Amino acid sequence: MKKLYNVLVVAMVAALVLTACGNVGTQADNLLDDIKQRGYIMVSTDPNYEPQSFLNTDGKRSADTKCPSDALTTAEMQGFDVDVAKAVGEGLGVETCFATPDWDVITAGNWADKWDVSIGSMTVTTARQQILDFSVPYYYTPAVVAVRADAGIGSLADLEGQALCVGTSTTYEFWLNGDTEGLGLPEASIYAQAPNVTVVPLPTDQECAQAIAAGREDFVGYVTSQTVVNANIAAGFPVVQLGSPVYSEDLAAAFDKSSTLPTDTLRAEVDKIFTAMHSDGRLSELSNNWLGEDLTQAPN
Amino acid sequence: MSEIANTETGTQKTHAQQLHEAQLQKKRQFQANVSLTWLILFLLLLLIFSSYEIKSSNGTTEFSLWQYETVVIDGKEALKKTRSVISTIPFGLPDEGITLKTILVDRDFVKENFSFIAGGLYWTVRVSLFSIILATILALLAALARLSTFPPFYALSTFYVSLIRGTPLYLQILFFFLALPQLNVRMTGEMAGVLALGLNYGAYMSEIFRAGIASVGKGQREAAIAIGMTPAQTMKRVVLPQALRFAIPPVGNDFIAMTKDSALVAATGFVHELTWNAQKVGRSQFRSLEALIIAAIFYWIMTIILTYIQGIIESRLAKGDR
Repeated sequence: MKKLYNVLVVAMVAALVLTACGNVGTQADNLLDDIKQRGYIMVSTDPNYEPQSFLNTDGKRSADTKCPSDALTTAEMQGFDVDVAKAVGEGLGVETCFATPDWDVITAGNWADKWDVSIGSMTVTTARQQILDFSVPYYYTPAVVAVRADAGIGSLADLEGQALCVGTSTTYEFWLNGDTEGLGLPEASIYAQAPNVTVVPLPTDQECAQAIAAGREDFVGYVTSQTVVNANIAAGFPVVQLGSPVYSEDLAAAFDKSSTLPTDTLRAEVDKIFTAMHSDGRLSELSNNWLGEDLTQAPN
Repeated sequence: MSEIANTETGTQKTHAQQLHEAQLQKKRQFQANVSLTWLILFLLLLLIFSSYEIKSSNGTTEFSLWQYETVVIDGKEALKKTRSVISTIPFGLPDEGITLKTILVDRDFVKENFSFIAGGLYWTVRVSLFSIILATILALLAALARLSTFPPFYALSTFYVSLIRGTPLYLQILFFFLALPQLNVRMTGEMAGVLALGLNYGAYMSEIFRAGIASVGKGQREAAIAIGMTPAQTMKRVVLPQALRFAIPPVGNDFIAMTKDSALVAATGFVHELTWNAQKVGRSQFRSLEALIIAAIFYWIMTIILTYIQGIIESRLAKGDR
């Protein structure tokens, strides 16, 4: 019996070591070549936000797509981020496919090569720069505080001691918590200090807006991007933007630092595509189409 | 005596028959009442989400319907909640009276997105089905190993159950999806999800099987051994069939819970099941409630089907009781 026990333990250890050593060979020695070889780029985005990124529920997947069956194709997605991702795919001469993990899984890095790049309105912050590499920004959004229209709040100072809602793992949460290091924005792009409030984090910004629209009074308002607030107001939500933007965010494509294949050539190529799209006005056009204004010019 | 009466008239029934029929009648009546109450409860549920309002005040009663309507404010289109009166009756409560409100559901949204959200059913059923199969196998193995007198088997079983029950399902899914690639074990989102769900529910269900096995009397085993069965034969022919009957209701319970936990697999980004479809459409169009109600309808239907199947299996295994 004891002998059998030893054999079993040895077998278990051997199995573990073997799995650890097993190697999946790829021919390419950087991510860009790998993408070109397989013919598609896997972009992660979070389709919770109209008009940046949302599902096209009428979209029919084309029959000759190269995308894996469990990924979404450009036909099934729409929005500003989606069109930018499409343009990146076209610039690289490959098809664009979408993975749609939870937002906090994207911002946490360590993507295990499941997707190549995030094009999902991610704000460049120093904290994120420790685990992710960023492209040049492709647009800039002002972050604003929105409050219930009938709350009688006229300035940031009125918010003292009240409760505000934010989407979890967003830069808005960092800002509200006074975590300027986590926020990691240059001082020039922070226009206001967060008031002393109780922070209520919900899964996404959209839950904050919907909670207010539903008549819940757990918080007087929420912090999000101006584009989201505009969309909320357009949907008939009883909210108003409180004063001017509190800070400005640079939004860029992100790459995983822990990627097995080096991402530097891909990053350089994406930078080139964004720079070209900035100068020939393609980004401004997309921004005007989807966001109703040109948010692609860097604020001073 | 009654037998004679029976042959004489041909209609007279024996006392036993009468009793039996009375029992059947009672059973039918009970069933009918249960169905009726179900119907009433169901209609009440529909009413709660019907968007109707009944207001009875100042001697009149008003029936009205709440709806979302597109209005133009400052040149911009916006959705607004509006109330339109359907009919008014000139009788009602005096003064303030009573207002009965129901929950406003955006019917246009439901109509437009119903089939898209329903598309997630494919993934939900697929992931649940694979996980259920895996969980059942693992649970049975873990329960048998737990009864083993061979220390490694016993340890393996208790370690597995302890580790898996002691950690969150969400972490387990992300472990298979994002951590294992470091060991060059690459899985699709679905594979990671099925493995995690199967392992997780297998651990919980192994306790059910163990309890089932333990519920079989010691005498049964002794009798089996006494007539010359090997321990394996005893387990297969005597203990497991009886244990299974005991285990079916709680196992069915776990399967039902699993169909809803399958939604967690969507975190990987590659499994677009019911809840995921509902959340994404709902959030971007600010109709999370409506979207999740659509998903809920399908979960409920799945649960009803699973309950029905469980009932069939239960009554089949219960035949041994007679």
